[in-house]
Amino acid sequence: MNERHQLRRRDFLATSGAVLSAPYVLPSGVLAAPGKKGPNERINVGHIGMGGRARGLYGELGGLRGKGECQSIAVCDVDEKRLENAAKLVPGATPYRDYRYILQRKDIDAVVIGTPDHWHGVQFAQAADCGKHIYCEKPACCTIEESKAMVAAAQRTGIASQIGSQGRSQREAYLMHRYLANEVVGKVDYVECFHYTSPVDTSGTPDGEPPADLDWDLWLGPLRWRSYNRKYLHGVFRWLLESGGGQIRDRGAHVMSCAMYWMGADGTGPVSIEATGTSPTRGLWDSAVEMKVTYTFKNPDWVMTWEQMPMDEVSRRYPVEERTKEENRQGFGRISRPGYGAVYHGDQGTCMHWGGDGGTWAERKVRQWAPPADTKEVYQSPGHMEDWFVGIRTGRKCIMDIEWGAGVANLCVLGNLSFILKRKLQWDPVKQEIVGDDEAHRMMSRPQRYPYHL
Amino acid sequence: MEELNLEELIAQIKDSDDKVRAAAWLSAGKYGAVAVKPLASVMTDEDVEIARAAKRALWVIVRWVGRPGAEDDKRAVEAALCGLLGSDEPDAVRCEVLWMLSEIGGDEAVAAVREIPGILYDKRLREDARCAVQRIPGDAALETLQGGFDAAPEDFRPAIAESLRDRGVEVDGYPSQKLVPTKKTDVQPVSQ
Repeated sequence: MNERHQLRRRDFLATSGAVLSAPYVLPSGVLAAPGKKGPNERINVGHIGMGGRARGLYGELGGLRGKGECQSIAVCDVDEKRLENAAKLVPGATPYRDYRYILQRKDIDAVVIGTPDHWHGVQFAQAADCGKHIYCEKPACCTIEESKAMVAAAQRTGIASQIGSQGRSQREAYLMHRYLANEVVGKVDYVECFHYTSPVDTSGTPDGEPPADLDWDLWLGPLRWRSYNRKYLHGVFRWLLESGGGQIRDRGAHVMSCAMYWMGADGTGPVSIEATGTSPTRGLWDSAVEMKVTYTFKNPDWVMTWEQMPMDEVSRRYPVEERTKEENRQGFGRISRPGYGAVYHGDQGTCMHWGGDGGTWAERKVRQWAPPADTKEVYQSPGHMEDWFVGIRTGRKCIMDIEWGAGVANLCVLGNLSFILKRKLQWDPVKQEIVGDDEAHRMMSRPQRYPYHL
Repeated sequence: MEELNLEELIAQIKDSDDKVRAAAWLSAGKYGAVAVKPLASVMTDEDVEIARAAKRALWVIVRWVGRPGAEDDKRAVEAALCGLLGSDEPDAVRCEVLWMLSEIGGDEAVAAVREIPGILYDKRLREDARCAVQRIPGDAALETLQGGFDAAPEDFRPAIAESLRDRGVEVDGYPSQKLVPTKKTDVQPVSQ
């Protein structure tokens, strides 16, 4: 198991002699070492993507902005209407359509990437190569190749990275983590993740011309060219396998992130992945509607399943806990997202949580557990953005560093690959490669459209 | 679903009921190479859902024959797909076929791409072709990229240069443009 929060970037740099070696010529001045900001210096942030979730990320930086720890000085979106709104939201910030202007600015220390999933890998790797610290919305990436490139870029440049699986930083997540780490339910050998189904596109929307305000070419970016269809965006990109990957990559990147963290399994991976599921019978979206994926881990041996099912089945199998007013007064709020979570099966009992993202709720016995004097303590995040800033200022590895984020994204990617191919996959978690299946091996990467590539 | 002959499969792909269509395309894998051309002809049906069902059926075939141990089935489907790269097929079909070949194609697919008349000058097709060949392992694919780089018009060379770099080849000149911003906005900043 990995030693979390141990590897300091400057240690890595010192031991690796991490000299940036560009494989080919890049425009002068775009490669840079990460900003070396003092503890009291304000960090300049650029926002890449300013749509729905990205605006939420801007809001989540509000506390740090309020303390004068950072300022947002650039915003970017490929949709001019959204960009116009972003410019109003962030007065004084320079608006850009093309994120590469932000990467070229040497006065920008850090970027928040809140674009659709198919852009994450390219933008992250390029931002790292330009010396920017990075907060990137989950899932980290869409292919195994992207995950490797992201980790490599972060390691060779020493930037601080945080993937937006913010469940790890929630208060009740800490309680779950501590409960499991102290083996109150014994050794856990089965994690049962649940979620409701992915939606089906029943609109019958034909392809058409993109709106004048949208740069369709830049929205597609690394994806192969295709005609515009409004059912690709905004927000709904996540129901397509290429650009989003369905619930398993959207919420799986939260729920399975918690599992990998709490199981102490970051930096490891399964040896086999087997998925079954149902496909939409119509419409543009092609992500699995219902789905069950089984991940088998070895040394130590444990199994994780990811299952999507109709909401009424979720409610029946995983009835939501009603919280008392007294609990509410103690800060344990109502469970507002009962449709997903996980059950942890140990040899001495089970425990569960709901949510796993910005809302994470631990069941009552976990919250009421009184830790004995010799309790094994676990890391308590000060907040997901705040943890990232600690990483920027100290060089300490973030709670959802890209290395861990890539590992979780790979689980989502592999689950979808097994679903698409309708066969069990064998995975080498050390080499991070699919073995014994040439087609699946090729699908670890997806050639990207020029010039929007890794 | 019960075993259908090829004609029945195609009829069900064209059915007005999406559940019938889905059952058909999901079962298409075992039909293999013989179903490739008939399905491709439905891929441009004016009903977008029928066209989509045909396309998904073809992908199911590709993924089925790509399974380990099905080399003969795979080569037969590869050959059938290569037969759809000619200029008599709609571009929408040819582009989709290129991506299918990127998953299961070998030297035969590479040769077929290389022989598409005017491929290096066809702005709609050449980028998908470049990506497909980049993904296909082996010396033939690499040699095709190198030959394409030498013969390509100036505006397409930088893209092929990236494919060659992806395959581990050093390319002189044509520095990467990936970090060069090109798209300006009309939106103005709002003063504080």
